[in-house]
Amino acid sequence: MTGFTVDPWDPGYAAALAAEALSELGATSAELILDVERPAADWKPVRPGPGVDPPETLLVADGVRRIDARVWVADADSPMPLPGIAASFAAGIVRCGPGGADLAEIEVARSLISASPYAPEVKTTHATYRPGRAADSSMEELSLALQRQVTQLEVDLAVRHRATTGDLLLVDGPLRGRTHLPNTVGYIKTHHTAYLPPPQSAVVSALAPGERTPVFLMGTSWRRHAWYVRLPVRSSTPWAGIARCEASAELEPAQVVRLADELTLALPPLAGVDYKDPRAPQNLVPIGGLEKLLRHHLGDPRLLYRALRTASQG
Amino acid sequence: MTTVGVERHVTVNGVTSAAVAVPAGEAVGRVLGTQSASPLSFWIGLAPGKVVQLDDVVVTRREVPGYGPVLMAGVVATVEARHEGAAYDSDVFLIADGALPAAVVEVAEVRVTRVEPEVFVPPLPGAQVYLAGAGDRDQALYFDVMDRRIPIGTGRDGQPLYVNFDFLDGTRGAHVSISGVSGVATKTSFATFLLYSIFNSGVLGGEAANTKALIFSVKGEDLLFLDHDNSRLDESARSVYGRLGLPATPFSSVHVFAPPRPNDPNGVPHVSARTQGVSSFFWTLVEFCQEELLRFVFADADDERAGYSLLVGQVAARLQAWAEPVGDGGAVRIRGTACRTFSDLVELLSDQLQDEASRHEWTGAQTPLGTVNAFLRRLRSAVRPLSPIVRGDLPFFRAHTIRTSDAQVSIVDLHNLPERAQRFVVGVVLRGEFHRKESAGTAKPLLFVVLDELNKYAPREGDSPIKEILLDVAERGRSLGVILIGAQQTASEVERRIVANSAVRVAGRLDSAEAARSEYGWLPPAVRERATIAKPGTMFVAQPEIPVPLAVAFPFPAWATRPSEAVAQAKASADPFQGLPGAEDDIPPF
Repeated sequence: MTGFTVDPWDPGYAAALAAEALSELGATSAELILDVERPAADWKPVRPGPGVDPPETLLVADGVRRIDARVWVADADSPMPLPGIAASFAAGIVRCGPGGADLAEIEVARSLISASPYAPEVKTTHATYRPGRAADSSMEELSLALQRQVTQLEVDLAVRHRATTGDLLLVDGPLRGRTHLPNTVGYIKTHHTAYLPPPQSAVVSALAPGERTPVFLMGTSWRRHAWYVRLPVRSSTPWAGIARCEASAELEPAQVVRLADELTLALPPLAGVDYKDPRAPQNLVPIGGLEKLLRHHLGDPRLLYRALRTASQG
Repeated sequence: MTTVGVERHVTVNGVTSAAVAVPAGEAVGRVLGTQSASPLSFWIGLAPGKVVQLDDVVVTRREVPGYGPVLMAGVVATVEARHEGAAYDSDVFLIADGALPAAVVEVAEVRVTRVEPEVFVPPLPGAQVYLAGAGDRDQALYFDVMDRRIPIGTGRDGQPLYVNFDFLDGTRGAHVSISGVSGVATKTSFATFLLYSIFNSGVLGGEAANTKALIFSVKGEDLLFLDHDNSRLDESARSVYGRLGLPATPFSSVHVFAPPRPNDPNGVPHVSARTQGVSSFFWTLVEFCQEELLRFVFADADDERAGYSLLVGQVAARLQAWAEPVGDGGAVRIRGTACRTFSDLVELLSDQLQDEASRHEWTGAQTPLGTVNAFLRRLRSAVRPLSPIVRGDLPFFRAHTIRTSDAQVSIVDLHNLPERAQRFVVGVVLRGEFHRKESAGTAKPLLFVVLDELNKYAPREGDSPIKEILLDVAERGRSLGVILIGAQQTASEVERRIVANSAVRVAGRLDSAEAARSEYGWLPPAVRERATIAKPGTMFVAQPEIPVPLAVAFPFPAWATRPSEAVAQAKASADPFQGLPGAEDDIPPF
């Protein structure tokens, strides 16, 4: 034994992790109610019973972001121009059903984010960047501001689409800001904080593929139901293939359990394969496909970069 | 962009006629921008729910400053469908199961056939592409500029396809070369349909009656029923003829020439299935000697190499000088010896050439004995195959020569003859007809000659008297009005100049190794591939005017192609003695 295992994820995703981690900030002081489904002392892996069927149609929502250029925004209040970013981002919903997976909704937006209140609206030949505001000029804060915009776009899209259909909606990332949407589950691929105390944490490690932990209620800055599920995986890393699902705190325990069971059946067939996706298996196939489509809709980065440069020269 | 149907119709001569609006076809898709579009070929993406198939004719238009709308028309050469967004082959299962979002896209490659007016600009990506309506289709395939066109069958869309008769009758080109695997390529059927179309489409006008066809039939008695109705012709096949503007009838005037039945004292034609309009053909020994037909006994490419061609010429000249007719059966007397059969003649030559004293008189110059012996060996081997058709023992007065004057279509049935005799007949008959046309001095009326297995008669390697004649036909026939419709399994084995001189090239099912040869360079790669799986009845026809070969399905023959299909001809003819030798054939007894 060497004392460590190598995580199968591509190290290149560190940047993306950082962005997701940022949205989890302030999540350390967790309030935990473990006995929502079963008593905390009696925690053990749960396999959905025979009476549960996976949902026929599953909606999957996700968003992507890309920084097209770093910019300097002239500021009348400051002798020195302020740094900013010009970014493209998109959110979309894929409907996975018996008829195949197709794009149900997509929206693309572009933003020029800086700490300056005078950030202009940039009209290039190919796209328009709308001004966005960040708290300060640090790269982290700019990135966080962008992430907020992406999340807002995702939320808006989900709300809009929710009005047309009641199918189970799986959103990539925390459910934050969307807890009021019915029949909606957040899907978290990475784990920055160990929310569970050691005895229950061991149950997570003991999960077999296709099993989940009992549902628990957690409250950090906001409250939600949650449970862990293990996807089919070949890696022997203890927490490999573990994903966390979140559902609204308003739901009755029976409703959450039913939702958790349905989803635990629906997720394993959608799990990615490591040779195709470096973030497998947590990065579900529809999410990977949707991200690819969304990135495609962001447009050609070189073309946009050139357009921004042309626009900056007047 | 709904420009179709509103523009003025610009004809080839540049005359703008505000006449009938171009019938707007169905929009099927748009020109792709991910593949470069060029003036000669471009790709189109198909709109969801729209389908084009190979050979469909599509058009697109582009407004070019200074020229107005430019029509670009072409034929679909490739159609492809794929999953867009799939990176791995196994993604197909994920997509089908609804896990991975991906789109099914269908794209088609269009080979441009016509740009009108001729401004060679590419269509712009995103431009709408339409299935060609009637007027556009004619323009795309140049049918609008064909003054005299003959239908050759229907396209995939069921509409007629034509070949320009200018490229068949010698005006701008002549000759047809048909290639394809034996049995499935239906070369002979296509050749007969082509003849039928020429005779019945009206392009010949006043010459229709005098235009003749000579068909050498090497395959059984299939072609002997061209003038019989086909009992299997159904209503749908009739309607195809209707669409092509042709009557669905058999050939009106057919005469069959067959060799005499072996060992029959009267020289009755050796045909079992046909009783009317048949006569036997043979050559008398008198004709054999006077017309120097000996050359055609040595018509193999091997013979030319064997070194006795000089001797063949010498002996033929002596025969012409010394042979005198004897009796009325066509027998000859040579230097006192009477020959009544071909075998007699060969014996006589053998005796004379082996005799030291007489040999010099025959050969003229000093000829090595080895050469003489080789010549005799080869000559003796011709006795068996040629005896039935070179005769001196049959009644001379009966018509026995092959001529094209009896009927519109004359069929020479060779299938009962051994190969050596087939060569002899083809060589002699072709030479006769060619000389006749040569001396007539005018190209019209035309004579169409259908010859299968051209690779046998005009092989790429070697020389033979038949190849000489065929080359003559290929190179001068255009001006003399002799049009060769040649068929072969492998065009790569036929004399290059003959294939090169054919204005119209046709391919049926091809062997895949054969299809890869350069002789089929006129078939684009995708068509070549298709030719290896072409069904019987489908031919790819290339003509000089249209830059892509057309895939043609020719209709089911309206004439019988085998005895079982032949509808018994009405027996109601007024003359009960019709078919029997007529009184005018008899020599009056006084």
